Amino acid sequence: MSLILVLIIIGVPWFGAALILLDRDRHDKLQHSLAVLFALAAAAAAILLTTHASKESVLVLAAGTVFGDFTFVPDGLGVFLTLIATIIGSLAVIFSINYMHGEKGLGRYYAYVLFFIGAMSGLVLTSNMLLMFFFWEITALCSYGLISFHNDDPKAVRGGLKALIITSVGGVGLLTGALLLYVYSSSFDYNILLADPSVIPSKILALLAFFFLVAAAAKSAQFPFQTWLPDAMEAPSPISALIHAATMVNAGVYLLARFFPAFEGVAYWKEAVMAVGVLSALLAAIMALFANDFKRVLAYSTVSQLGYMVYAVGAGSVLASQFHLFSHSIFKALLFLGAGAVIHSIGTRDMTKMGGVGKAMPFVKWVFIIGALALAGIPILNGFWSKEMILEAGHATGAPVLYWIMVFVAGLTALYTIRMVWMVFYGEPRSDYHAHKVGVAMKIALAPLAAAALTSWLVIGSFTKLLGEESLPYHAIESLSLSGMFHEVVSLPTLIPLAVILLGILCWIFREKLTGIGKLFGWLRWLADHSFGFEAINSGLVSAAQSSAEGLRVTQTGILGWNILGILSTIIVLFTLFAIGA
Amino acid sequence: MNTSLLIFGLIALPLVASPFVYLLGRSSVRKGTFLGMSFAKMLTVMVILLEGVLLLFTAREWIGLTSTYTTIGTTLIGFDGISLILGVIVLILGFCVTIFSFPYMEDEDGEEKFYALLLALIGSIVGLGMAQDLFNLWVWFEVMAISSYFLVAFYHDQPASLEAGFKYLTQSAVGSALALFGIALLFAKTGSVYIPDFGQTLQSNEPFVLIGGALIIIGFGVKAALAPLHTWLPDAHSQAPSGISAMLSGIVIEAGLVAMLRVISFMNGKDSNWGIILLVFGCINILIGNLLALRQTEVKRLLAYSSIAQVGYMLVGFGVSFYSQSITGAAGGYFHMLTHALMKGLAFLAAGSFLFVLHIAKGSHSPLVLDDLNGASKKYPLVALLFSIALLGLGGLPPMAGFMSKWQILLATAGEKSGGMIAVVVFVALNSILSLGYYAPIINRMYRHEQSETVAAGAKVTSWMVVPMVILTVCILLLGVWPTLASFMTNNAAATLLYPFGV
Repeated sequence: MSLILVLIIIGVPWFGAALILLDRDRHDKLQHSLAVLFALAAAAAAILLTTHASKESVLVLAAGTVFGDFTFVPDGLGVFLTLIATIIGSLAVIFSINYMHGEKGLGRYYAYVLFFIGAMSGLVLTSNMLLMFFFWEITALCSYGLISFHNDDPKAVRGGLKALIITSVGGVGLLTGALLLYVYSSSFDYNILLADPSVIPSKILALLAFFFLVAAAAKSAQFPFQTWLPDAMEAPSPISALIHAATMVNAGVYLLARFFPAFEGVAYWKEAVMAVGVLSALLAAIMALFANDFKRVLAYSTVSQLGYMVYAVGAGSVLASQFHLFSHSIFKALLFLGAGAVIHSIGTRDMTKMGGVGKAMPFVKWVFIIGALALAGIPILNGFWSKEMILEAGHATGAPVLYWIMVFVAGLTALYTIRMVWMVFYGEPRSDYHAHKVGVAMKIALAPLAAAALTSWLVIGSFTKLLGEESLPYHAIESLSLSGMFHEVVSLPTLIPLAVILLGILCWIFREKLTGIGKLFGWLRWLADHSFGFEAINSGLVSAAQSSAEGLRVTQTGILGWNILGILSTIIVLFTLFAIGA
Repeated sequence: MNTSLLIFGLIALPLVASPFVYLLGRSSVRKGTFLGMSFAKMLTVMVILLEGVLLLFTAREWIGLTSTYTTIGTTLIGFDGISLILGVIVLILGFCVTIFSFPYMEDEDGEEKFYALLLALIGSIVGLGMAQDLFNLWVWFEVMAISSYFLVAFYHDQPASLEAGFKYLTQSAVGSALALFGIALLFAKTGSVYIPDFGQTLQSNEPFVLIGGALIIIGFGVKAALAPLHTWLPDAHSQAPSGISAMLSGIVIEAGLVAMLRVISFMNGKDSNWGIILLVFGCINILIGNLLALRQTEVKRLLAYSSIAQVGYMLVGFGVSFYSQSITGAAGGYFHMLTHALMKGLAFLAAGSFLFVLHIAKGSHSPLVLDDLNGASKKYPLVALLFSIALLGLGGLPPMAGFMSKWQILLATAGEKSGGMIAVVVFVALNSILSLGYYAPIINRMYRHEQSETVAAGAKVTSWMVVPMVILTVCILLLGVWPTLASFMTNNAAATLLYPFGV
């Protein structure tokens, strides 16, 4: 039964992608309907799969020693992420019915989206490292295709290429690690490593751990690879919601969570992971504070919240990080879809031109506020519970500086969130825009996410059972009931982050009085606008490649004499090397 | 069936049919009818298909026997794993190119010579794969080279074409001369040209052997586009008719590589590090090929530079295999030969389709530039899709076959368990990503909504051009998700190559 479900989850969206392409953009409605149908089919299969989660592999295709056995294991971690990918995928596709109405190239759009959903599910459900890398690269391909969907816009094309190249560079870390795993353990199955990390010599294990950290950081847009995510906002908003908030960027966190039992013993690995998380969270929160592009604020916010998840893994609590992944997928998808509704209606992403949108679009305002409250970590929304669990875990590690920075970032989060909500939905319109009410499909996509943001924390019991020993034997995730979570979170140490969050909100409310302090931080604004120098590094690397390529062109002289000289001088060089060496 | 007869048939069929194809075609040109030309084209296709059948039978015979050697006069020929994979690649690619060329070369001046030369090229490569003595190897290599000279300079009234052909001829001749010197030196050491008789005699560090080996590498390496011997390639591959560009990039340069490897494999021993030399050349190829392609605006020239990089990947695979004396690297190298032939073949055929509908059908001889492709997907959706699949595959993205062949090569490299090799893995992988920097923007251009003027004025594309591209795409996607389909061929070719080690 699990086998059929896994095949449906991966195969049905892929089949749908091919089918939609065959229509060749002749029937809009057919393409919309098929996309929704196939996405929902995968989601239904994923929901059913949660009842069949186990640590036994369900599909084993022997493919020799070079490619390993193609295995799929529907364990708790995989099933949980598949659930998110398919359900939020379906909601994004439903939202697209309104958002992409009248767009040309729908076939390409839906084909990429469905191809992505299948690949993301495959990524988390497989236990073969080659297949994991295979699906990892396919998600990068789909992300590139969707970011640069509007090929006529050079910014979109640049954003797509940047995302592809940066995440692929990280992918080299995954590739090298996967190869080393096979070379030293004679197996592509990572469960061998998780069961007994000592099967690999410790130096190689350390190499593996840090290579995987690089791969995870690049995929999840963490320090120092965070620059691609803000530029990926050129993608249509349903894509930003699905790929760049709820699923693909979580692949990095998934990688760290999956391999935690193997790497936790590596010297300085956990500290490095925490450092990456904290730096990402802090820098991105500062950049979000000063950004004026609606989706860019959300992008920075995603980097920041992913930083929390990475920090949680480093602090030793895979449960807290996955729980926050769960909450974040819901409320960030909600925020992106809500922002998408606003942007689609108004026609600009510039928040300085918005203001008072809440009057024209009340439904969107209220669901967006729900998402914003979850992001800021206000009780009782899901973001509050998961963020507090992370901070608890961080507090327990005994790295106080990092903990206090994360508490401070929680306050910054509240500040930039309320700033964003205020600038868009409240106040007076700052420009002449026209905002109309949202379509039905958009409402159908937004409402369940808002409801989930209010209630998803209630399932903590089943959540911990799903990730428990039955299906994840090496992760030692203990069961936590609702009351257990209550006791853990509603305690004295939680009051401090709550106070800081309140402080952040108050800072905005009293911003008029604080302009003096604001001026003192002008240098910070400058740094944030220049992304703390990372964009400069990126453009430096690109121009270095281009100029070395240009410089190399002199070797192609076009003159036959030089070409033959090249042949003869190679001979001479080889002879000389032999004379010296032999 | 008698193996000798089959092998003889494999060699003789295309070469004997080639003049008939020419005569049939020539008769139609002289009489002003088209019937002769059509018969010539049909004969070409039938010969290729028949050759494929012969190859199948020969392969089945070979699986059962240990030795398939036979002599024609004093020449030793024999069928082995390398012959199989070379034969399969050249026949698949030759078939697709022939069909593609039916509309492409229609009414071209000298069309009757095209198919005859193409058959001779195919036949010579099949023969090269089966040559089991050094001199015969060189002779087949020369026949292949000569057929390709005329094909590269096919548009004999275009000065750029002639220049490309002339440079190719001269540099290739230098290479052939050097290779012959190398063969002479090795013959001086072994006393026999028969490859199976070499045994361990060449596994020494004597000066004659070292110089001979270096000359072999450089001599055959000119044809295989090792950097810095590659300077003829961008001109030749971009000026040739697109079907021939596909053949050149897909199999002709690889045939040079195969010839080189056959000889070098006997020289590799415990004390020799020919593998390191191949590895270094491979890394240089990858870097130079990628960097030079980055700045190209002409589509076929870009693809030609990328071929240099792709040969680099193969060299890395073979180099690692020789260094470690294990077959995974060589199997990966042969696998990459296969996947590269399919993907680069598809890319050149797709670029050729665009070149045909946008320029040639309008009577223009200007090259296809990147700006011409803007917005091409609306008018030519299938060709644009297939071209995108080829480009992404060349960049090493799944689910195309290039991903799997690169994986195998990198697996072999990592298998060395040394820090230097891990650095090579990272270097090769990063270069693969760099290549995306010039492959991906082409796809973005094609999927714009705003069409370039050339696209708006373009002609219709015919099914003769599309069908071979679809065939290649299906192979690429199939191998991309089911890489072990090719394992039989690649593992056997690698085993044959490393036979001197007793592997």
